[in-house]
Amino acid sequence: MKKTISIILAIFASAVLVFGQDARQRTVSTIVSDVLALMPIQTADELQSEITSLAAAAPQSVELLASQLQAPEKGVNNKIEYAINALANFACAPGNEKYKDAVKQGFKKAAEAAADPVAKAFLETQIRLLSPEDEPKPEVENATAKELLARAKALAKSDNRNDLCESMYLYDKVLGKDNLKNVLKALKSDNRSYRVTALDYAEKYADEAFIGKLVSKYNKLSDGAKVDVLNWLGDNKVKAATDLFISQFANGGEIADAAIEAAGKTGGRKAARALIDILGTDKDAAAMKALKSFPKSLTREVEIALGHADGQKLESLLSLASGKRMKNCADKVFELAGSNESALKALAGVVSSDDFGKIAGLLDKASDAQVPAYAKALQAALSKMVPEAKYATVLNAIENANNKERFFPALASSNTDQAVDYLANAYNDGNQAALKALTKVQNLKALKPLLKAANDGDETSYYSYITLCNGLIGDPDEKCAKIASALANAKKPELVIPTLNILAGIPTAQAFQLASNYLDDKATAITAAGAVKNIASKCVDVLDAAKTKEALGKAFDIYQKRGEADDEYACKELKKMIDAIQEPSPIYELTADEQKQGFELLFDGTNLDKWVGNKEGYRISNNCIYVTAGYGNGGNLYTEKEYKDFVFRFEFAFARPGANNGVGVRTPMGVDAAYDGMCEVQILDHDDPIYEGLNAYQVHGSVYGVIPAKRIVHKPLGEWSCEEIRVQGNHVTVTVNGEVILDGDVKEACQGHNVAPDGSNVNPYTVDHRNHPGMFNETGHVGFLGHGAGVEIRNVRILDLNAKTAKKGRK
Amino acid sequence: MDKSRRSFLKTSGAGLALFTVAPRTAFGKMGGNNNYIAPSDQLTRGIIGVGGIGMSSNHFVSDQNCRLVALCDVDSKHLDNAVSKAKEKLDETPKTYHDFRELIHDADVDIVHIATPPHWHALMACEAANAGKDVFCEKPMTRTIGEGKRVKEAVKRNGTIFRLNTWFRFKDTFYGLGTTVEPLKKLVDSGLLGWPLTVRISGATGFAWKFYWTGKENLIPQPVPECLDYDMWLGPAPYKPYNPHRVHQTFRGYWDYDGGGLGDMGQHYIDPVQYFLGKDNDFPVKVEVDAPQQHPDAIGIWRSITYTYADGCKIILEGEGFESSGKVPYIEGPLGKVYKGFECTIPNVQELINEMPDPEPRNTDYLECVKTRRHFALNEENGYHSATIVNMGVCALRLGRTLNFDPKTQLFIGDDAANLLIDQPMRGEWGKMLK
Repeated sequence: MKKTISIILAIFASAVLVFGQDARQRTVSTIVSDVLALMPIQTADELQSEITSLAAAAPQSVELLASQLQAPEKGVNNKIEYAINALANFACAPGNEKYKDAVKQGFKKAAEAAADPVAKAFLETQIRLLSPEDEPKPEVENATAKELLARAKALAKSDNRNDLCESMYLYDKVLGKDNLKNVLKALKSDNRSYRVTALDYAEKYADEAFIGKLVSKYNKLSDGAKVDVLNWLGDNKVKAATDLFISQFANGGEIADAAIEAAGKTGGRKAARALIDILGTDKDAAAMKALKSFPKSLTREVEIALGHADGQKLESLLSLASGKRMKNCADKVFELAGSNESALKALAGVVSSDDFGKIAGLLDKASDAQVPAYAKALQAALSKMVPEAKYATVLNAIENANNKERFFPALASSNTDQAVDYLANAYNDGNQAALKALTKVQNLKALKPLLKAANDGDETSYYSYITLCNGLIGDPDEKCAKIASALANAKKPELVIPTLNILAGIPTAQAFQLASNYLDDKATAITAAGAVKNIASKCVDVLDAAKTKEALGKAFDIYQKRGEADDEYACKELKKMIDAIQEPSPIYELTADEQKQGFELLFDGTNLDKWVGNKEGYRISNNCIYVTAGYGNGGNLYTEKEYKDFVFRFEFAFARPGANNGVGVRTPMGVDAAYDGMCEVQILDHDDPIYEGLNAYQVHGSVYGVIPAKRIVHKPLGEWSCEEIRVQGNHVTVTVNGEVILDGDVKEACQGHNVAPDGSNVNPYTVDHRNHPGMFNETGHVGFLGHGAGVEIRNVRILDLNAKTAKKGRK
Repeated sequence: MDKSRRSFLKTSGAGLALFTVAPRTAFGKMGGNNNYIAPSDQLTRGIIGVGGIGMSSNHFVSDQNCRLVALCDVDSKHLDNAVSKAKEKLDETPKTYHDFRELIHDADVDIVHIATPPHWHALMACEAANAGKDVFCEKPMTRTIGEGKRVKEAVKRNGTIFRLNTWFRFKDTFYGLGTTVEPLKKLVDSGLLGWPLTVRISGATGFAWKFYWTGKENLIPQPVPECLDYDMWLGPAPYKPYNPHRVHQTFRGYWDYDGGGLGDMGQHYIDPVQYFLGKDNDFPVKVEVDAPQQHPDAIGIWRSITYTYADGCKIILEGEGFESSGKVPYIEGPLGKVYKGFECTIPNVQELINEMPDPEPRNTDYLECVKTRRHFALNEENGYHSATIVNMGVCALRLGRTLNFDPKTQLFIGDDAANLLIDQPMRGEWGKMLK
């Protein structure tokens, strides 16, 4: 007891001392509490600097830190544990030796003093990290070579697998290469483990002499040992044993199988020919396996063998030639294709572009049964051509063909715009073969005819449509919109389910909304649950809190109800996500001051009643306006009323990096406000690396194309900024988070020339050299101008400076 | 019970292995059909750990080729549940054990299937190897690099047939690649992608690191449930007060027992990469981590872990939420790239691959390996290598720094503390069992 007290006193005595080495002149206890407040730290660099101060103040800092560890029942130790662990990691790191002793001393004292056994054990593991010299040395076997040999000899007499293997282990250790003779001896054993283990030990020492002995003794070995030896020779690719392998092909069962496998692994022309020779026999399957993985090309051997093979042997050779794309066998396969079905099927594997004309002729004249194989061969012949050449070649063939439709799949395989046009036209004329070809094409132009066919009930077209959207459309919003237009007419679960699986990979609010529509239908529920879980976990948009909670809650129930092996993980993940959903923004009211001045709330979080325009692309989500509208896509959002002079205030946040929007001033609806309105005040996450080459007049707050704003650094994604835009006459003032970033006169900025004096469309007086015909509009709407998804807006209010209600300091 | 445990500890390996030649118990219910395999030719298997993967439909099986004859668990609820499932679904009445050593030394068991948390794998595998049993071990192979060495050594000395259970290097569609590993191996071997290669294992390339396997800090001690022998569950792990989050399904979140998502999925994802890069006999020389500060007990998340081989090949793991953006290649070489779904920058790559020889055949039937004593395709040797990659990452994460590794000595270079993590002390008597 006394001891504990004195230690604590010692700690506190030193804790109040200012610690000299600390750059900020903090006391030890301040250093400790500063570090604790930061735990855990996100990056190694940051951690390094904090822990350096802590280590420099050791041992006092360590003792003080460790003395704060409490019994685990309290559940409060995590920050201290982080700090202690970081400190031990720091002090044991190469280069930090100068801190080590003091830190270790601190840990040792703390461990002695620790009352709680769990805390004590924890501190001891940290001390271990700092004390490599105290580590117990591993026990070394100090038996002499003689003793080991005697032991090995005794063990070798056992009939137990472990003993025998152990004896070989000891022999190998003592004898090294001289153990090879024991390996040969072991092959006489009827214990397979012993034989195989012995051969393993031979691997590193085996030389020609050993191989020679092995091969010469081979015939005297038991069948089991023969197999082991063949396996070993094959695994080690012993070329010198090729003749032995071949001689064993004629043997039965396991021996032949082992010899065939070994010959295949070892390779060589002789082995290849021998393996080909046994194709068509009862060893056909084993030989084929060996030939498929044969380490060298077999084109010559197969071509020769094809000349005089029949039956199963011919089948196997054709399958090899085709599977390994042996073009040199094409003539022979063509010759056989008319009469032999296997050869016909093999054709696609052996043809090259030179064969195109020949196949085209055959395809045109083929019987219906032969068509699929020739059509496949035709595409194979095209495979190495560039798309345009493919298209031209096939089109030419079509023009000369009687059975034009047989060439449609090959035309489609060019994936060119022309091919799609050709096939779409044919489909419009009612040609179903053209539609079938369109379902295989990799070109977005095919979407239109495919969607039409899908809406007419053709399921293959539907699958092709959604697969194409998924594969070829990069922009997630566009991908989702396109998929939505097909999904709208899809009723069957077998159509909806693959669509949901695609939506699962699109991390947008729209995809989330679409997928959540299918949570209630039993047939689609589990797939939809997977989709909403996936989308929500990766979503780049801000999702509506209430709707998300509802959808994820449903997904949770669906997984829980099914209760399969992995569903528990899904539930855990969903629970975590639901707990992390942030509360929506508050409903705003005007401040007393704004009320006094006569501001009007345009958007308080509840409704867009004072707005007109695109309320689809500007949706209310979490009591904010969330923008998903793209540029010129579905329009902008405008104030219902028009304004001349005004003060416009709002808050904005970026949900997606690089998000882009703007405030239109005195603008008519449906035009480009930057030119046909008075101006557009830019809203842009210009910090995103995609805007590297941005012009000064495009940064956030600029009067677009006319007056550049001071470039600010935006807050992190998701954090709110306040903005005020004051427009009076030709004067515009933009204030962000209290800082004026633009204050200028548009007329002065272009010296009165909002349009080029010479009537051309190059205007030397504006910084973007464009005409701004709307600049001197008397009045107009204020609007949000969408350039893609990812901006959030809230608390929008306006003071109309021309209205009679606008009061200045009314008491 | 206690007494018998001690006697097992003292009499290791050789003596006990005599049991293996003892006659096997004959089992009933052998139909009279042509596929009849005499009981003496049947292999038998016992599972240690029947609360998780041991109960999966791939493993909880019994057939004529290999009978499930014994089960072991330290949670009596698991054991009861497994027994009734065995009766119901397999028509078997396996023997049950509380102490794994008794299952291992049961003369009726040929193959020991280790399906416990990883902190037990090494002890059990070594004990089984010493007892003359063959071993089927779940991934990750071991919890530390040192334990991996011990297993390798024990397997070698005893002529054990060891299978590490992950399988993507030889079968099944390999996650985001939409194909087996085989054509990737052919492509890499062909040299068409150039050299060295960088492999990115990331959500962006189709792999999830399962960050829900993170631990909880400030665990409040709770009473141990009646059904669980917590002391035996912990075994070699340091004593820490019981909390249900430490054990059973959530143990993966604690360094004492596993390595979080990296421990759980690392060998699944990395082992096939080691195979197609041709690195089965090599180790990375460097591991770098980018991660938030790690708690000493509860495993946290990480942003990336980068392994570099001496020849410049890299394996980069990207944590969930920290994936590279844009179009991210799975394999990137100076001459070509492979993306998710086996999309490749090399024109006609599929045709070119078809022309190439298939990879060398491997032994992928474990029971066949047990009979022929040939090494299984994923064994103690290449399994030790890929487990070591995982464990190098664990060491670097726990220490929060870059580590350099010497493939020859299999020790970290110039970092004594990191080398202390290669071998970690085992609690009480357990340390003496690993010799």
